[in-house]
Amino acid sequence: MSGPGIASVGAYAPSSRLSGEVIAETWGRFKAGGIESTAVPEPDEDVLTMGYEAARRALDAAPVSGADIGHVLFGTTNPPVEEEAVLPRFGAMLGVPETAEGDMFTGALTAGVRAFRAGYRTVEGSGPVIVVASDAPRGEPQQALEQGAGAGAAAFVVTADAPVTVDGFASFSEPAAGSRFRERGNERTEGLGISSFDRQVFTTTVTNAIEALETPLDSVDAAAVQATDGRKPYRVTGALPVSSEQLKEHATVHTLGDTGAASVPLSLAVALDDGAGRVLGIAAGSGATALTVVIDATESVPATLALDGKEDVEYASYLRQRGEITGGAPEGGGGYVSLPAWYRSVAQRYRLVAGRCPACDRLNMPPRGACSSCNELVEYDPLELSRTGEVEAVSVISQGGAPPEFAELQERTGPYATGTVAFEGPDGDSASLPSMFVEVEPDAVAVGDEVETTIRRIYTQEGVTRYGIKVQPIR
Amino acid sequence: MTFLIMREAYLIGAGQSEFGAFPDESYRSLFRAAFEESLDSVPEGIEKTAIDEAYIGMVGIGGRQIGLPGPAVTEHVGLNGIPSVRLENACAASGYGVRQAVQAVRSGMADVALAGGTEVMNDLGRDRARYWLGVSGEMEWERMAGTTFAGVFAQMASVHMVEYGTTSEQLSRVAVKSHANGAKNPHAHLDHECTLDDAESAPTIASPLGLYHCCPMSDGAASVLVAAGDVVEEFTDDPIRIAGAGASSGGLGLFEREQYTSVPATKKAAQRAYDEAGITPADLDFAEVHDCFSIAEIIAYEDLGFCAPGEGGAFVERGATELDGQLPVNTSGGLKSKGHPIGATGASQVVEVFEQLTGQAGGRQVDDASVGLAHNIGGSGGAATVHVFEREGAS
Repeated sequence: MSGPGIASVGAYAPSSRLSGEVIAETWGRFKAGGIESTAVPEPDEDVLTMGYEAARRALDAAPVSGADIGHVLFGTTNPPVEEEAVLPRFGAMLGVPETAEGDMFTGALTAGVRAFRAGYRTVEGSGPVIVVASDAPRGEPQQALEQGAGAGAAAFVVTADAPVTVDGFASFSEPAAGSRFRERGNERTEGLGISSFDRQVFTTTVTNAIEALETPLDSVDAAAVQATDGRKPYRVTGALPVSSEQLKEHATVHTLGDTGAASVPLSLAVALDDGAGRVLGIAAGSGATALTVVIDATESVPATLALDGKEDVEYASYLRQRGEITGGAPEGGGGYVSLPAWYRSVAQRYRLVAGRCPACDRLNMPPRGACSSCNELVEYDPLELSRTGEVEAVSVISQGGAPPEFAELQERTGPYATGTVAFEGPDGDSASLPSMFVEVEPDAVAVGDEVETTIRRIYTQEGVTRYGIKVQPIR
Repeated sequence: MTFLIMREAYLIGAGQSEFGAFPDESYRSLFRAAFEESLDSVPEGIEKTAIDEAYIGMVGIGGRQIGLPGPAVTEHVGLNGIPSVRLENACAASGYGVRQAVQAVRSGMADVALAGGTEVMNDLGRDRARYWLGVSGEMEWERMAGTTFAGVFAQMASVHMVEYGTTSEQLSRVAVKSHANGAKNPHAHLDHECTLDDAESAPTIASPLGLYHCCPMSDGAASVLVAAGDVVEEFTDDPIRIAGAGASSGGLGLFEREQYTSVPATKKAAQRAYDEAGITPADLDFAEVHDCFSIAEIIAYEDLGFCAPGEGGAFVERGATELDGQLPVNTSGGLKSKGHPIGATGASQVVEVFEQLTGQAGGRQVDDASVGLAHNIGGSGGAATVHVFEREGAS
C-alpha cells in the first residue's frame, strides 16, 4: 500500500557525548533521570546546521532531489533568530528551488510533529516536501533541563506516493502553563518544577490525545514518546499499546538526551530504520498540549541515520564547548565580509557551485573575475563540485592564534585545523577552497586525507550569523 | 629581451630607525629618524631640498592614518610641498616604493626620489593587532576558513614537507642563522642569538610553524634615496646602480594558485630583475629576502634561483646562506630578527644592501660585496619586488 507519506528518512546527532556520570561526579547528583549521556553540539552547530545534516541524508536516500522539493517545513523550539526567515537559507543549502514554500514551527515541543503533520497535509498540492525537526535545548547548568539537554535532528522526505503512510493525527490541549517555557529574549528554557502538576498534565494530555485517535492501535509495534528525560515516557506506558521494553527499543533519549522538538521525530526515524510496521508517535509539552500520529510502514523505507557518539567530553570541556566559561567576541573588530558580499557567494558557500571557464575549460572556485588559468573575462558555466575532497595543505592554528572573529570559537573548541581542499568536478578535474576542519583531532589531519563537506556557522557579525561549508572526515 | 632605460637610477643613501617596540614613538617620529639617517648616509652629503618626490609605504596597522600618511610624514620632516604619496601593497609596500622611485628617476620626472616606509604595530591591544594583521589576506575565503598569515605559510610548509621532505629542523636553521646575523645589527628588534634547540622547542603558532619560525611585529621606519645618473656624482664617487628592478603580482589566496610550494610573483619579478641587470643568481654576493616565516625564506631561495626547487631546506642546512657561506642571505637578521614593521620592510632591506655595498655593515659585513639583491613580498605572494644593486666601481 502506498500513498502520501514518508519516502526517506535522515537523522543526525552531534558526535560528542557528555555522560550522566560525569555530571553526577561534578554536581554530586544527576538530575536528568534515565539519561546515560547527552549529545553536545559543537560551538559552530545550531538547529539549522544539524537540520542540514539530517535533511542531506534524507535527500540522498530519497527518490527525489533538493530541486524537486516544493515545501520546506522545519520544527524547533530554538530557532537561530527570534525574527527573520531562515528557511530561504536552509533551502538554499539543500538546493531547494526559490519558489518552494517554507514554514517554521516553533514555540512548543510539538513543533517537529506539527511540521510533519503540515507537510503531510500539503504534499499532494505542493509536490515533494522536506520535513525537518531539529533542536538543542539549553537550561541553567545546575538545572535538570540542562543536565539532560541533548541535540539532534530528524528529516523526512514526504511524497504523495510513499512506502510509509499516515493513519491519522489527533491532539489534546488544556489551558495549563509553567511546566516548560522560555521567556522572550532568553536562550535558556526553564520550568517551575511543580512535579506532581507537571506529571499530571503530561499524563492527561498524552492519554487523551491517544484516545482521540480514530484508528485501532492493537497492531502498533513501536512507539515514539516525547522524552524530556529518560523516565517520563515510561510513566504513560499504561496508556500505550506497547510495553516499556518496546518503547525503549527505539528511544533516543537515553543516549542523546532531551532533543526537544526533535525527540519524537528522532525516535520515529529510529523505529522506521529498525523496521517497525506500525508506529505511534506522541509529542507533548511546553504547555499542556499533546499531538499523536500513527504511521504505517508496510514497506521498508530508505533511511540514513548518523546518531552514533564518538567522543566523551569532560565536564570542563563541555562548559567550554557550550560557551559557559568563555568570553565573547574580542574588542577590535573582525574580518569583514559584508552581508551583500556573503549573500552573493552563498551558492559557493552552501553547495560548492564552481564555474567552468568557457574559454579554456578550467574550473574556477569561486567563479569570479577573470579565469585563473587563461585570464579571459568570461561568463562561467556553473556546476556543483563533489561534496568530498582531498586535503592539499593543512595547518593547526594554536590556541590564541585565531583571527579575532574566530577567537571565541577557538576558546570553545581549542586549536583547530584549517587547510586547502581540492573538490572534484564532474569531469574529474578539481578546484580548491580554503576549509576549516571539524569533527577531527586537528593534529590528525594530513595532506592527502579524504574529507566531506558539512555546513556550519562560520561567524556572527553585526548580529547576523554567516553559514558556510566546513570539512570533516568521511562519516 | 632588452629594456629601454631612459637613464640609470642609483642608490645614494639609505637609513632606518631602530626596529622594535617603542611606545614613545609615532609613525612620524620613527620616519624622521630613518630620514635623517638616510641623509647622513649620502657620502658627499645632500640637502633635503634636492628631493623631488616621495613614495611612502604604510599599511596603517591600527587605522592610525589610513588616508594621506605620505604627506603626513614628508611634511613632518620638512619636505612639505613635494609630490608625496602613500603606497600600499601589504608587506611589499616600500619594496614597491623603491620601484616607484626608480621609475621616477629613470623616466626623468625626478632627479632624486625618496622611497621609504613607516609602521607602528605595538601600541594597540592584542586583538585589534590580530585583526589588522589579517587585512591583507584573501578575506572572503581564506580568512573565513580561520586562516591567519602564519596559517597560510604553514600550509605552504605542510606541502613543502610532504613534497620535498623539508624538515622542522631546516626551518629552525633559518631562524638560527637570521638571529646570528641580527645579533650583530644595532637596529634589530630581536637582537639576540638563538640555538637550534630554542627554535625547535618553541611553542607552536600554526603547525608546522613554531614561534621562532615567525617574524615579530615591529615598529620602525626606513628611508632610501635614489638619484639619476646625471646627478649621481654630486652625491657619491662610488655609485651603486640599481641594475635590475622587477615586480609582479599574483593571486591573493593560496588556493587560487597552481602550486603551493612556490610564489609565482617572486619568480616573475626575479626574472625581470636578473634580465635587466644581465646577471644570474651566481653573480650575487648576498641577498636580503622576505622571510616573514622561515618557510618563506626557503621558498625564496628556490624561487630566486639560489637553489633548485625543493632544495631550499638542504641549502640552509649546509650553511650556504650563512654570513660566511656561498651566498649570505639576510645578513641584516631579516624580518625574523631585524623585525617587520610592515610598511617599512622593503625599504629597510635596501638599507642593508646599502650598508653592505658601502662596507658599513660592521660585524656582518660580507667580504668584497659588490652585487646584492633585495626581495620583498606582500601577503602570501599577492605582490613582489626584486631589485638588483651593483657597486659600479667594483665591476
